[in-house]
Amino acid sequence: MSIAYLGLESFRQLKNARSMIFTLAVPLIMLVAFGGSFGGSGQVDPVTKLPWIVVTTIQVASYGGMMAALSQAFNIVTERSIGWNRQLRITPLTGTGYLVSKVITAMLMALVSIVVIFTVSELLFHPPLAFGNWLTAGLGIWCGVIPFALLGILIGQFAKPEFAQPLFMAVFMGMAVLGGLWVPLQIFPAWVANVAQIVPSYWLNRIGQMGAHQSGDVLTPALVLAGWTIVLGAFIIWRYRRDASRS
Amino acid sequence: MNQTPAIQLTDLRKSFGSLQAVNGVSLSIAPGEVVALLGPNGAGKSTTIDLALGLAHPTSGTAALFGENPRAAIEAGRVGAMLQGGALLPTLTVAQSVALVAAAHKHPLSVEEALERARCTEIAKQRVSKLSGGQMQRARFAVAVVSNPDLLFLDEPTAAMDVEARRTFWQSMREFTDEGRTVVFATHYLDEADTYADRIVMLSKGVVVADGTPNEVKAVVSGRRIRASIDFAWTDDARDALSRLPGVRSLDHRAGQVAIVSDDSDATLRALLAAHTDVHDIEVTAHTMDDAFLALTEGAAGGASTGTAAGADTAAASDTTITNGALR
Repeated sequence: MSIAYLGLESFRQLKNARSMIFTLAVPLIMLVAFGGSFGGSGQVDPVTKLPWIVVTTIQVASYGGMMAALSQAFNIVTERSIGWNRQLRITPLTGTGYLVSKVITAMLMALVSIVVIFTVSELLFHPPLAFGNWLTAGLGIWCGVIPFALLGILIGQFAKPEFAQPLFMAVFMGMAVLGGLWVPLQIFPAWVANVAQIVPSYWLNRIGQMGAHQSGDVLTPALVLAGWTIVLGAFIIWRYRRDASRS
Repeated sequence: MNQTPAIQLTDLRKSFGSLQAVNGVSLSIAPGEVVALLGPNGAGKSTTIDLALGLAHPTSGTAALFGENPRAAIEAGRVGAMLQGGALLPTLTVAQSVALVAAAHKHPLSVEEALERARCTEIAKQRVSKLSGGQMQRARFAVAVVSNPDLLFLDEPTAAMDVEARRTFWQSMREFTDEGRTVVFATHYLDEADTYADRIVMLSKGVVVADGTPNEVKAVVSGRRIRASIDFAWTDDARDALSRLPGVRSLDHRAGQVAIVSDDSDATLRALLAAHTDVHDIEVTAHTMDDAFLALTEGAAGGASTGTAAGADTAAASDTTITNGALR
Protein backbone atom coordinates (compact mmCIF):
# COMPACT_ATOMS: atom_id res chain seq x y z
CA MET A 1 0.00 0.00 0.00
CA SER A 2 1.39 3.34 -0.99
CA ILE A 3 1.41 6.28 1.42
CA ALA A 4 1.87 8.64 -1.52
CA TYR A 5 -1.31 7.31 -3.08
CA LEU A 6 -3.29 7.67 0.15
CA GLY A 7 -2.04 11.23 0.52
CA LEU A 8 -2.89 12.29 -3.04
CA GLU A 9 -6.26 10.57 -2.95
CA SER A 10 -7.27 12.22 0.35
CA PHE A 11 -6.00 15.60 -0.81
CA ARG A 12 -7.95 15.28 -4.05
CA GLN A 13 -11.15 14.53 -2.14
CA LEU A 14 -10.62 17.33 0.38
CA LYS A 15 -10.43 19.80 -2.49
CA ASN A 16 -13.91 18.62 -3.32
CA ALA A 17 -15.05 19.59 0.18
CA ARG A 18 -16.98 22.49 -1.33
CA SER A 19 -19.69 19.99 -2.11
CA MET A 20 -20.02 19.49 1.65
CA ILE A 21 -21.78 22.82 2.00
CA PHE A 22 -25.00 21.05 1.15
CA THR A 23 -24.30 18.19 3.51
CA LEU A 24 -23.62 20.69 6.27
CA ALA A 25 -26.54 23.02 5.62
CA VAL A 26 -29.21 20.77 7.15
CA PRO A 27 -27.44 20.02 10.44
CA LEU A 28 -26.46 23.67 10.85
CA ILE A 29 -30.06 24.79 10.40
CA MET A 30 -31.13 22.12 12.92
CA LEU A 31 -28.51 23.39 15.33
CA VAL A 32 -29.61 26.99 15.11
CA ALA A 33 -33.30 26.10 15.36
CA PHE A 34 -33.14 23.57 18.21
CA GLY A 35 -30.22 25.16 19.99
CA GLY A 36 -31.98 28.49 20.09
CA SER A 37 -35.31 27.11 21.34
CA PHE A 38 -34.09 24.58 23.92
CA GLY A 39 -30.66 25.46 25.08
CA GLY A 40 -30.56 29.23 25.29
CA SER A 41 -30.88 29.51 29.06
CA GLY A 42 -28.77 26.59 30.18
CA GLN A 43 -31.38 23.97 31.12
CA VAL A 44 -30.08 20.50 31.89
CA ASP A 45 -31.42 17.31 30.32
CA PRO A 46 -32.58 15.06 33.17
CA VAL A 47 -31.67 11.81 31.37
CA THR A 48 -28.11 12.56 30.30
CA LYS A 49 -27.40 15.17 32.97
CA LEU A 50 -25.86 17.30 30.24
CA PRO A 51 -26.94 20.84 29.38
CA TRP A 52 -29.56 20.75 26.62
CA ILE A 53 -27.42 22.77 24.29
CA VAL A 54 -24.62 20.20 24.62
CA VAL A 55 -27.03 17.33 23.97
CA THR A 56 -28.39 19.13 20.90
CA THR A 57 -24.94 19.96 19.56
CA ILE A 58 -23.80 16.37 19.94
CA GLN A 59 -26.93 15.07 18.26
CA VAL A 60 -26.60 17.46 15.34
CA ALA A 61 -22.87 16.75 14.99
CA SER A 62 -23.64 13.02 14.95
CA TYR A 63 -26.17 13.55 12.22
CA GLY A 64 -23.79 15.78 10.25
CA GLY A 65 -20.85 13.38 10.61
CA MET A 66 -23.02 10.45 9.58
CA MET A 67 -24.33 12.27 6.51
CA ALA A 68 -20.86 13.40 5.48
CA ALA A 69 -19.50 9.86 5.73
CA LEU A 70 -22.48 8.22 4.04
CA SER A 71 -22.52 10.68 1.17
CA GLN A 72 -19.14 9.37 0.02
CA ALA A 73 -21.39 6.83 -1.69
CA PHE A 74 -22.15 9.37 -4.41
CA ASN A 75 -18.51 10.09 -5.17
CA ILE A 76 -17.76 6.40 -5.45
CA VAL A 77 -20.76 5.72 -7.69
CA THR A 78 -19.58 8.47 -10.03
CA GLU A 79 -16.02 7.17 -10.06
CA ARG A 80 -17.21 3.70 -10.88
CA SER A 81 -19.61 4.81 -13.59
CA ILE A 82 -16.85 6.58 -15.52
CA GLY A 83 -14.58 3.54 -15.22
CA TRP A 84 -12.07 4.90 -12.74
CA ASN A 85 -12.20 1.69 -10.70
CA ARG A 86 -11.20 -0.31 -13.77
CA GLN A 87 -8.21 1.97 -14.16
CA LEU A 88 -7.30 1.40 -10.51
CA ARG A 89 -7.56 -2.36 -10.96
CA ILE A 90 -4.57 -2.26 -13.33
CA THR A 91 -2.41 -0.75 -10.61
CA PRO A 92 -0.92 -2.63 -7.65
CA LEU A 93 -3.52 -1.00 -5.38
CA THR A 94 -5.00 -3.83 -3.30
CA GLY A 95 -8.51 -4.22 -1.95
CA THR A 96 -7.23 -3.17 1.46
CA GLY A 97 -5.49 -0.15 -0.03
CA TYR A 98 -8.71 0.89 -1.73
CA LEU A 99 -10.67 0.40 1.51
CA VAL A 100 -8.18 2.47 3.52
CA SER A 101 -8.09 5.27 0.95
CA LYS A 102 -11.87 5.55 0.92
CA VAL A 103 -12.24 5.29 4.71
CA ILE A 104 -9.67 8.04 5.23
CA THR A 105 -11.59 10.32 2.89
CA ALA A 106 -14.98 9.58 4.43
CA MET A 107 -13.60 10.06 7.93
CA LEU A 108 -11.94 13.34 6.97
CA MET A 109 -15.25 14.60 5.63
CA ALA A 110 -17.01 13.51 8.82
CA LEU A 111 -14.34 15.23 10.90
CA VAL A 112 -14.76 18.49 9.01
CA SER A 113 -18.50 18.25 9.58
CA ILE A 114 -18.18 17.59 13.32
CA VAL A 115 -15.63 20.34 13.85
CA VAL A 116 -17.70 22.90 11.94
CA ILE A 117 -20.84 22.09 13.93
CA PHE A 118 -19.03 22.21 17.28
CA THR A 119 -17.42 25.51 16.32
CA VAL A 120 -20.68 27.10 15.22
CA SER A 121 -22.36 25.92 18.43
CA GLU A 122 -19.53 27.37 20.51
CA LEU A 123 -19.68 30.70 18.73
CA LEU A 124 -23.46 31.07 18.87
CA PHE A 125 -24.44 29.50 22.19
CA HIS A 126 -21.28 29.30 24.32
CA PRO A 127 -22.31 25.91 25.75
CA PRO A 128 -20.92 25.23 29.23
CA LEU A 129 -18.50 22.41 28.46
CA ALA A 130 -14.72 22.31 28.86
CA PHE A 131 -12.54 22.06 25.76
CA GLY A 132 -11.24 18.65 26.81
CA ASN A 133 -14.79 17.33 27.06
CA TRP A 134 -15.63 18.69 23.62
CA LEU A 135 -12.56 16.90 22.35
CA THR A 136 -13.60 13.52 23.76
CA ALA A 137 -17.20 14.08 22.68
CA GLY A 138 -16.02 14.78 19.12
CA LEU A 139 -13.72 11.78 19.21
CA GLY A 140 -16.62 9.61 20.40
CA ILE A 141 -18.87 10.72 17.56
CA TRP A 142 -16.03 10.33 15.08
CA CYS A 143 -15.49 6.69 16.14
CA GLY A 144 -19.22 6.14 15.96
CA VAL A 145 -19.17 7.36 12.35
CA ILE A 146 -16.81 4.58 11.18
CA PRO A 147 -19.57 2.07 10.30
CA PHE A 148 -21.36 4.77 8.33
CA ALA A 149 -18.22 5.55 6.38
CA LEU A 150 -18.05 1.86 5.48
CA LEU A 151 -21.76 1.71 4.65
CA GLY A 152 -21.37 4.73 2.39
CA ILE A 153 -18.48 3.07 0.55
CA LEU A 154 -20.45 -0.13 0.20
CA ILE A 155 -23.49 1.68 -1.23
CA GLY A 156 -21.12 3.40 -3.63
CA GLN A 157 -19.69 0.06 -4.69
CA PHE A 158 -22.97 -1.65 -5.32
CA ALA A 159 -25.34 1.04 -6.54
CA LYS A 160 -25.85 1.95 -10.15
CA PRO A 161 -25.94 5.73 -10.59
CA GLU A 162 -29.72 5.84 -10.86
CA PHE A 163 -30.22 3.78 -7.69
CA ALA A 164 -27.64 5.48 -5.48
CA GLN A 165 -30.04 8.09 -4.12
CA PRO A 166 -32.90 5.71 -3.18
CA LEU A 167 -30.46 3.18 -1.70
CA PHE A 168 -28.80 5.92 0.28
CA MET A 169 -32.17 7.10 1.61
CA ALA A 170 -33.28 3.57 2.49
CA VAL A 171 -30.10 2.86 4.45
CA PHE A 172 -30.13 6.27 6.07
CA MET A 173 -33.77 6.13 7.16
CA GLY A 174 -33.60 2.50 8.21
CA MET A 175 -30.59 3.25 10.36
CA ALA A 176 -32.18 6.37 11.80
CA VAL A 177 -35.42 4.63 12.78
CA LEU A 178 -33.79 1.45 14.09
CA GLY A 179 -31.27 3.39 16.08
CA GLY A 180 -33.95 5.53 17.67
CA LEU A 181 -32.75 8.80 16.18
CA TRP A 182 -36.21 9.83 15.02
CA VAL A 183 -38.72 8.00 17.19
CA PRO A 184 -37.92 7.39 20.87
CA LEU A 185 -37.32 3.66 21.33
CA GLN A 186 -39.43 3.69 24.50
CA ILE A 187 -42.63 3.59 22.45
CA PHE A 188 -41.60 0.25 20.87
CA PRO A 189 -41.77 -3.15 22.64
CA ALA A 190 -38.73 -3.88 24.78
CA TRP A 191 -37.21 -6.30 22.29
CA VAL A 192 -36.99 -3.56 19.68
CA ALA A 193 -34.96 -1.45 22.05
CA ASN A 194 -32.66 -4.42 22.62
CA VAL A 195 -32.25 -5.04 18.91
CA ALA A 196 -31.55 -1.35 18.41
CA GLN A 197 -28.37 -1.75 20.44
CA ILE A 198 -26.67 -3.66 17.65
CA VAL A 199 -27.36 -0.83 15.19
CA PRO A 200 -24.50 1.68 14.94
CA SER A 201 -26.85 4.66 14.82
CA TYR A 202 -28.10 3.75 18.32
CA TRP A 203 -24.62 4.37 19.67
CA LEU A 204 -23.64 7.32 17.54
CA ASN A 205 -24.65 10.19 19.82
CA ARG A 206 -24.48 8.07 22.97
CA ILE A 207 -20.73 7.70 22.49
CA GLY A 208 -20.64 11.44 21.96
CA GLN A 209 -22.45 11.93 25.27
CA MET A 210 -20.07 9.51 26.98
CA GLY A 211 -17.23 11.56 25.58
CA ALA A 212 -18.77 14.74 26.92
CA HIS A 213 -19.09 13.10 30.36
CA GLN A 214 -15.75 11.38 29.98
CA SER A 215 -17.34 8.37 31.64
CA GLY A 216 -19.62 5.47 30.78
CA ASP A 217 -19.44 1.87 29.60
CA VAL A 218 -17.63 1.96 26.27
CA LEU A 219 -17.20 -1.81 25.95
CA THR A 220 -20.58 -2.59 24.35
CA PRO A 221 -20.43 0.20 21.74
CA ALA A 222 -16.79 -0.67 21.03
CA LEU A 223 -17.75 -4.29 20.31
CA VAL A 224 -20.71 -3.28 18.16
CA LEU A 225 -18.56 -0.85 16.16
CA ALA A 226 -15.76 -3.37 15.74
CA GLY A 227 -18.23 -6.00 14.55
CA TRP A 228 -19.73 -3.69 11.92
CA THR A 229 -16.32 -2.47 10.86
CA ILE A 230 -14.95 -5.97 10.28
CA VAL A 231 -17.99 -7.26 8.40
CA LEU A 232 -18.45 -4.18 6.21
CA GLY A 233 -14.71 -3.85 5.59
CA ALA A 234 -14.51 -7.45 4.40
CA PHE A 235 -17.44 -6.84 2.05
CA ILE A 236 -15.78 -3.75 0.58
CA ILE A 237 -12.51 -5.57 -0.09
CA TRP A 238 -14.35 -8.50 -1.64
CA ARG A 239 -16.39 -6.18 -3.82
CA TYR A 240 -13.40 -4.15 -4.99
CA ARG A 241 -11.64 -7.30 -6.15
CA ARG A 242 -14.66 -8.29 -8.14
CA ASP A 243 -15.84 -4.94 -9.36
CA ALA A 244 -13.98 -4.62 -12.62
CA SER A 245 -16.47 -5.72 -15.20
CA ARG A 246 -17.52 -3.24 -17.82
CA SER A 247 -20.88 -1.67 -17.20
CA MET B 1 13.08 -19.19 -28.53
CA ASN B 2 12.52 -20.50 -25.07
CA GLN B 3 11.16 -17.24 -23.77
CA THR B 4 8.20 -17.05 -21.45
CA PRO B 5 5.38 -15.56 -23.51
CA ALA B 6 4.23 -12.10 -22.51
CA ILE B 7 0.66 -13.31 -22.90
CA GLN B 8 -0.50 -16.88 -22.81
CA LEU B 9 -4.21 -17.52 -23.20
CA THR B 10 -5.29 -21.14 -23.08
CA ASP B 11 -8.73 -22.10 -24.31
CA LEU B 12 -10.33 -19.04 -22.73
CA ARG B 13 -14.10 -19.01 -22.53
CA LYS B 14 -16.43 -16.46 -21.07
CA SER B 15 -20.17 -16.48 -21.21
CA PHE B 16 -22.62 -13.89 -19.98
CA GLY B 17 -25.82 -15.82 -19.46
CA SER B 18 -26.52 -17.50 -22.79
CA LEU B 19 -24.12 -15.24 -24.70
CA GLN B 20 -20.74 -16.78 -25.45
CA ALA B 21 -18.59 -13.65 -25.58
CA VAL B 22 -15.31 -15.56 -25.81
CA ASN B 23 -15.52 -19.10 -27.05
CA GLY B 24 -12.21 -20.90 -26.77
CA VAL B 25 -9.44 -18.40 -27.49
CA SER B 26 -5.86 -19.67 -27.31
CA LEU B 27 -3.05 -17.23 -28.00
CA SER B 28 0.63 -17.01 -27.26
CA ILE B 29 2.25 -13.61 -27.68
CA ALA B 30 6.01 -13.31 -27.37
CA PRO B 31 7.75 -10.38 -25.69
CA GLY B 32 8.34 -7.56 -28.18
CA GLU B 33 5.44 -8.41 -30.47
CA VAL B 34 3.03 -5.71 -31.56
CA VAL B 35 -0.29 -7.42 -32.05
CA ALA B 36 -3.54 -5.99 -33.41
CA LEU B 37 -6.82 -7.47 -32.29
CA LEU B 38 -9.32 -7.01 -35.06
CA GLY B 39 -12.96 -7.89 -35.17
CA PRO B 40 -16.42 -6.43 -35.55
CA ASN B 41 -18.33 -5.07 -32.57
CA GLY B 42 -19.24 -7.88 -30.24
CA ALA B 43 -16.45 -10.13 -31.52
CA GLY B 44 -15.05 -10.48 -28.02
CA LYS B 45 -12.03 -8.16 -28.27
CA SER B 46 -12.68 -6.20 -25.10
CA THR B 47 -13.75 -9.27 -23.17
CA THR B 48 -10.55 -11.04 -24.23
CA ILE B 49 -8.52 -8.08 -22.97
CA ASP B 50 -10.47 -8.04 -19.69
CA LEU B 51 -9.81 -11.75 -19.25
CA ALA B 52 -6.12 -11.38 -20.05
CA LEU B 53 -5.85 -8.66 -17.40
CA GLY B 54 -7.80 -10.65 -14.85
CA LEU B 55 -10.50 -7.96 -14.74
CA ALA B 56 -13.06 -10.59 -15.64
CA HIS B 57 -12.95 -14.20 -14.56
CA PRO B 58 -13.08 -16.77 -17.36
CA THR B 59 -15.86 -19.35 -17.38
CA SER B 60 -13.07 -21.79 -18.23
CA GLY B 61 -9.50 -21.67 -19.48
CA THR B 62 -6.57 -19.69 -18.17
CA ALA B 63 -4.78 -16.42 -18.83
CA ALA B 64 -1.17 -15.80 -17.85
CA LEU B 65 1.01 -12.71 -18.25
CA PHE B 66 4.77 -13.34 -18.20
CA GLY B 67 4.09 -16.83 -16.94
CA GLU B 68 2.21 -15.78 -13.83
CA ASN B 69 -1.35 -14.89 -13.05
CA PRO B 70 -2.38 -11.49 -14.43
CA ARG B 71 -2.80 -9.91 -11.02
CA ALA B 72 0.79 -10.77 -10.05
CA ALA B 73 2.10 -9.19 -13.28
CA ILE B 74 0.00 -6.09 -12.62
CA GLU B 75 1.26 -5.82 -9.04
CA ALA B 76 4.82 -6.06 -10.34
CA GLY B 77 4.04 -3.01 -12.49
CA ARG B 78 4.71 -4.86 -15.75
CA VAL B 79 1.33 -4.13 -17.32
CA GLY B 80 -0.30 -0.92 -18.49
CA ALA B 81 -3.65 -0.50 -20.19
CA MET B 82 -5.99 1.90 -21.87
CA LEU B 83 -9.31 0.18 -21.40
CA GLN B 84 -12.74 0.68 -22.81
CA GLY B 85 -14.81 2.27 -20.11
CA GLY B 86 -11.69 3.19 -18.20
CA ALA B 87 -11.85 6.94 -17.99
CA LEU B 88 -10.16 9.58 -15.88
CA LEU B 89 -11.62 11.67 -13.07
CA PRO B 90 -13.06 14.85 -14.58
CA THR B 91 -12.06 17.13 -11.70
CA LEU B 92 -8.32 16.43 -11.95
CA THR B 93 -5.83 17.89 -14.38
CA VAL B 94 -3.97 15.56 -16.72
CA ALA B 95 -0.79 15.85 -14.64
CA GLN B 96 -2.69 15.15 -11.42
CA SER B 97 -4.31 12.06 -12.96
CA VAL B 98 -0.94 10.73 -14.01
CA ALA B 99 0.54 11.53 -10.59
CA LEU B 100 -2.31 9.79 -8.77
CA VAL B 101 -1.94 6.59 -10.77
CA ALA B 102 1.87 6.82 -10.51
CA ALA B 103 1.53 6.97 -6.74
CA ALA B 104 -0.29 3.65 -6.78
CA HIS B 105 2.59 2.00 -8.63
CA LYS B 106 5.84 0.77 -7.17
CA HIS B 107 8.39 1.84 -9.78
CA PRO B 108 6.71 4.44 -11.96
CA LEU B 109 8.23 6.77 -14.51
CA SER B 110 8.38 10.38 -13.48
CA VAL B 111 5.15 12.22 -14.21
CA GLU B 112 7.03 14.51 -16.62
CA GLU B 113 8.39 11.59 -18.60
CA ALA B 114 5.00 9.89 -18.90
CA LEU B 115 3.44 13.15 -20.07
CA GLU B 116 6.27 13.66 -22.53
CA ARG B 117 5.94 10.16 -23.96
CA ALA B 118 2.22 10.59 -24.49
CA ARG B 119 2.69 14.09 -26.00
CA CYS B 120 0.71 15.52 -23.10
CA THR B 121 3.15 18.13 -21.85
CA GLU B 122 1.21 21.06 -23.24
CA ILE B 123 -2.11 19.81 -21.87
CA ALA B 124 -0.67 18.79 -18.48
CA LYS B 125 -2.42 21.54 -16.57
CA GLN B 126 -5.78 21.15 -18.26
CA ARG B 127 -8.68 19.64 -16.45
CA VAL B 128 -9.77 16.26 -17.75
CA SER B 129 -13.34 17.53 -18.17
CA LYS B 130 -12.08 20.14 -20.65
CA LEU B 131 -10.19 17.78 -22.94
CA SER B 132 -11.18 17.01 -26.51
CA GLY B 133 -11.66 13.39 -27.53
CA GLY B 134 -8.16 13.07 -28.93
CA GLN B 135 -6.54 14.82 -25.97
CA MET B 136 -8.44 12.53 -23.63
CA GLN B 137 -7.00 9.49 -25.38
CA ARG B 138 -3.49 10.91 -25.06
CA ALA B 139 -4.05 11.58 -21.37
CA ARG B 140 -5.19 7.99 -20.93
CA PHE B 141 -2.10 6.83 -22.78
CA ALA B 142 0.04 8.83 -20.33
CA VAL B 143 -1.74 7.11 -17.45
CA ALA B 144 -1.20 3.74 -19.09
CA VAL B 145 2.56 4.19 -19.56
CA VAL B 146 3.38 5.83 -16.23
CA SER B 147 3.99 2.44 -14.63
CA ASN B 148 6.75 1.90 -17.23
CA PRO B 149 5.14 -1.38 -18.31
CA ASP B 150 6.65 -4.18 -20.38
CA LEU B 151 3.24 -5.00 -21.76
CA LEU B 152 0.62 -2.55 -22.88
CA PHE B 153 -3.02 -3.22 -23.73
CA LEU B 154 -4.78 -0.56 -25.77
CA ASP B 155 -8.47 -0.98 -26.40
CA GLU B 156 -9.37 1.20 -29.37
CA PRO B 157 -6.74 3.81 -28.52
CA THR B 158 -7.38 6.08 -31.49
CA ALA B 159 -11.17 6.19 -31.27
CA ALA B 160 -12.26 9.84 -31.36
CA MET B 161 -8.94 11.02 -32.80
CA ASP B 162 -8.60 12.96 -36.02
CA VAL B 163 -6.05 11.94 -38.64
CA GLU B 164 -3.26 14.14 -37.32
CA ALA B 165 -3.84 13.01 -33.75
CA ARG B 166 -3.79 9.37 -34.82
CA ARG B 167 -0.49 9.83 -36.59
CA THR B 168 1.05 11.51 -33.53
CA PHE B 169 -0.32 8.81 -31.31
CA TRP B 170 1.22 6.03 -33.35
CA GLN B 171 4.53 7.86 -33.37
CA SER B 172 4.62 7.85 -29.59
CA MET B 173 3.55 4.21 -29.67
CA ARG B 174 6.46 3.39 -31.99
CA GLU B 175 8.96 4.91 -29.57
CA PHE B 176 7.47 2.67 -26.96
CA THR B 177 7.59 -0.54 -28.98
CA ASP B 178 11.07 0.18 -30.37
CA GLU B 179 12.32 -0.44 -26.84
CA GLY B 180 11.21 -4.05 -27.17
CA ARG B 181 7.96 -3.81 -25.28
CA THR B 182 4.90 -5.84 -26.07
CA VAL B 183 1.74 -4.11 -27.25
CA VAL B 184 -1.70 -5.52 -27.90
CA PHE B 185 -4.18 -3.12 -29.40
CA ALA B 186 -7.77 -3.54 -30.45
CA THR B 187 -8.91 -1.35 -33.28
CA HIS B 188 -11.61 -0.76 -35.84
CA TYR B 189 -9.19 0.92 -38.22
CA LEU B 190 -7.89 -1.84 -40.44
CA ASP B 191 -5.18 0.34 -41.92
CA GLU B 192 -3.78 0.88 -38.41
CA ALA B 193 -3.54 -2.85 -37.90
CA ASP B 194 -1.97 -3.20 -41.33
CA THR B 195 0.59 -0.45 -40.74
CA TYR B 196 1.55 -0.76 -37.10
CA ALA B 197 1.12 -4.40 -36.10
CA ASP B 198 3.65 -7.22 -36.57
CA ARG B 199 0.83 -9.63 -36.20
CA ILE B 200 -2.91 -9.55 -36.60
CA VAL B 201 -5.30 -11.67 -34.62
CA MET B 202 -8.80 -11.53 -36.01
CA LEU B 203 -11.71 -12.39 -33.78
CA SER B 204 -15.27 -13.12 -34.75
CA LYS B 205 -18.04 -14.41 -32.52
CA GLY B 206 -15.57 -15.07 -29.74
CA VAL B 207 -13.17 -17.24 -31.74
CA VAL B 208 -9.87 -16.53 -33.50
CA VAL B 209 -10.55 -16.70 -37.23
CA ALA B 210 -7.12 -15.59 -38.43
CA ASP B 211 -3.73 -15.11 -36.89
CA GLY B 212 -0.70 -14.04 -38.88
CA THR B 213 1.31 -11.16 -40.28
CA PRO B 214 -0.70 -8.45 -42.03
CA ASN B 215 0.42 -9.84 -45.41
CA GLU B 216 -0.58 -13.37 -44.48
CA VAL B 217 -3.99 -12.22 -43.38
CA LYS B 218 -4.52 -10.19 -46.53
CA ALA B 219 -3.44 -13.19 -48.62
CA VAL B 220 -6.51 -15.04 -47.37
CA VAL B 221 -8.42 -13.15 -49.98
CA SER B 222 -5.78 -13.55 -52.64
CA GLY B 223 -6.21 -12.43 -56.20
CA ARG B 224 -7.80 -9.30 -57.52
CA ARG B 225 -11.22 -8.14 -58.33
CA ILE B 226 -12.21 -7.12 -61.85
CA ARG B 227 -15.31 -5.06 -62.32
CA ALA B 228 -16.70 -4.19 -65.70
CA SER B 229 -19.90 -3.09 -67.34
CA ILE B 230 -21.17 -5.50 -69.99
CA ASP B 231 -23.53 -4.88 -72.86
CA PHE B 232 -24.20 -8.53 -73.78
CA ALA B 233 -27.10 -10.51 -72.35
CA TRP B 234 -26.43 -12.26 -69.08
CA THR B 235 -27.42 -15.87 -69.86
CA ASP B 236 -26.33 -19.14 -68.36
CA ASP B 237 -24.10 -19.68 -71.39
CA ALA B 238 -22.48 -16.29 -70.97
CA ARG B 239 -21.91 -17.05 -67.29
CA ASP B 240 -20.33 -20.43 -68.10
CA ALA B 241 -18.10 -18.86 -70.73
CA LEU B 242 -16.86 -16.24 -68.30
CA SER B 243 -16.26 -18.72 -65.52
CA ARG B 244 -14.06 -20.77 -67.88
CA LEU B 245 -11.72 -17.80 -68.45
CA PRO B 246 -8.23 -18.40 -67.02
CA GLY B 247 -7.78 -17.60 -63.34
CA VAL B 248 -11.43 -16.96 -62.52
CA ARG B 249 -12.37 -18.00 -59.04
CA SER B 250 -15.86 -16.59 -58.78
CA LEU B 251 -18.11 -14.19 -60.52
CA ASP B 252 -21.21 -12.28 -59.92
CA HIS B 253 -23.52 -10.19 -62.06
CA ARG B 254 -25.66 -7.33 -61.02
CA ALA B 255 -27.35 -4.54 -62.94
CA GLY B 256 -25.23 -4.80 -66.07
CA GLN B 257 -22.01 -5.05 -64.08
CA VAL B 258 -19.93 -8.13 -63.65
CA ALA B 259 -17.54 -8.67 -60.78
CA ILE B 260 -14.88 -11.32 -61.22
CA VAL B 261 -12.51 -12.52 -58.56
CA SER B 262 -9.40 -13.85 -60.23
CA ASP B 263 -6.18 -15.48 -59.13
CA ASP B 264 -4.49 -14.17 -62.28
CA SER B 265 -6.17 -10.94 -63.25
CA ASP B 266 -3.82 -10.25 -66.17
CA ALA B 267 -4.69 -13.51 -67.91
CA THR B 268 -8.37 -13.16 -67.12
CA LEU B 269 -8.47 -9.68 -68.50
CA ARG B 270 -6.67 -10.59 -71.73
CA ALA B 271 -9.05 -13.46 -72.37
CA LEU B 272 -12.07 -11.38 -71.43
CA LEU B 273 -11.18 -8.60 -73.85
CA ALA B 274 -10.38 -11.10 -76.61
CA ALA B 275 -13.78 -12.76 -76.21
CA HIS B 276 -15.92 -9.65 -75.75
CA THR B 277 -15.70 -6.30 -77.41
CA ASP B 278 -18.78 -5.07 -75.54
CA VAL B 279 -17.09 -4.78 -72.16
CA HIS B 280 -16.23 -1.31 -70.86
CA ASP B 281 -15.38 0.72 -67.76
CA ILE B 282 -13.02 -1.94 -66.53
CA GLU B 283 -11.61 -1.59 -63.03
CA VAL B 284 -9.06 -3.89 -61.40
CA THR B 285 -8.52 -3.63 -57.65
CA ALA B 286 -6.33 -5.47 -55.19
CA HIS B 287 -7.91 -6.90 -52.09
CA THR B 288 -7.58 -4.73 -49.07
CA MET B 289 -7.49 -5.45 -45.39
CA ASP B 290 -11.19 -4.60 -45.44
CA ASP B 291 -11.84 -7.49 -47.84
CA ALA B 292 -9.84 -9.87 -45.69
CA PHE B 293 -11.68 -8.64 -42.65
CA LEU B 294 -15.10 -9.10 -44.20
CA ALA B 295 -14.22 -12.46 -45.68
CA LEU B 296 -12.85 -13.82 -42.44
CA THR B 297 -15.42 -12.42 -40.05
CA GLU B 298 -18.39 -13.26 -42.24
CA GLY B 299 -16.90 -16.63 -43.01
CA ALA B 300 -17.07 -17.39 -39.32
CA ALA B 301 -20.68 -16.31 -39.31
CA GLY B 302 -21.50 -19.17 -41.67
CA GLY B 303 -20.24 -17.85 -44.98
CA ALA B 304 -23.66 -16.70 -46.04
CA SER B 305 -23.37 -15.17 -49.47
CA THR B 306 -25.39 -12.05 -49.83
CA GLY B 307 -25.56 -12.20 -53.62
CA THR B 308 -23.81 -8.88 -54.04
CA ALA B 309 -20.38 -8.44 -55.54
CA ALA B 310 -18.91 -8.30 -52.09
CA GLY B 311 -20.89 -11.36 -51.19
CA ALA B 312 -19.31 -13.27 -54.06
CA ASP B 313 -15.88 -12.42 -52.70
CA THR B 314 -16.94 -13.54 -49.33
CA ALA B 315 -18.18 -16.84 -50.62
CA ALA B 316 -14.99 -17.37 -52.56
CA ALA B 317 -12.88 -16.55 -49.57
CA SER B 318 -14.96 -18.78 -47.35
CA ASP B 319 -13.57 -21.78 -49.19
CA THR B 320 -10.18 -20.86 -47.86
CA THR B 321 -11.25 -19.65 -44.46
CA ILE B 322 -8.50 -20.28 -42.02
CA THR B 323 -9.43 -21.16 -38.54
CA ASN B 324 -7.61 -21.03 -35.28
CA GLY B 325 -4.20 -19.97 -36.33
CA ALA B 326 -3.80 -22.12 -39.41
CA LEU B 327 -1.58 -19.42 -40.84
CA ARG B 328 1.09 -19.66 -38.22
